[in-house]
Amino acid sequence: MSGLDVGAVLGDLLIGVGLLLTTLGVVGIYRMPDVYTQLHASGKAAFIGTLAFLAAATVAGKGAVDAKAILIALFLVLTAPVAAHVIARASYKRGEPMVSADAIDESRRGLVDAGGEPVEEAPDTD
Amino acid sequence: MHETVFYVAVLWLAVLGVACGAKVLLARSAGSRILALDTLVVVLIGLLVLWSNAEGVPFFMDAALMLAVLAFIGTLAAAHFHSDGRLF
Repeated sequence: MSGLDVGAVLGDLLIGVGLLLTTLGVVGIYRMPDVYTQLHASGKAAFIGTLAFLAAATVAGKGAVDAKAILIALFLVLTAPVAAHVIARASYKRGEPMVSADAIDESRRGLVDAGGEPVEEAPDTD
Repeated sequence: MHETVFYVAVLWLAVLGVACGAKVLLARSAGSRILALDTLVVVLIGLLVLWSNAEGVPFFMDAALMLAVLAFIGTLAAAHFHSDGRLF
């Protein structure tokens, strides 16, 4: 029965890791100033935290829970980066300003604005 | 020990879910709002998986999978509407 104990302890540890990472992700979307930086917190920390929960379910769970946990993990691994990319692309196309202090807008559309004021139109960059 | 971890985790994830919901309401831009909704769904999936694992009921896993699929499609649709001003 020692193998069962190891599984339970490992599951608890993974749940702890998942809680930590998800908390960091949610704190991140509160702390970060604009969408582009918030995406770092949500797209990495919160997503990997959920993967840790799914790993805990696989380690400590029963048969039917296992397979579905792997299925959900696979689906999340495929779709979470796509969702984050689509959000960033939509915000950029819409022209949402970058308000973090050292933001670099490489296409020079005029989105960088340290004051946090929304930029209405891209200035001429001849 | 195992029970305590489970209850603490469920309670804390509920708090995180409420925080994400508040962020959806308080967000300064539409892109930030879409992102907060996406994060809320990720937290909810974690909650469902945790619950399903502890109770040994596989049905919540189906709900979590459907939630993931619907959230992905919803995020795509919302982001497309945000950038182009129309759905299709």
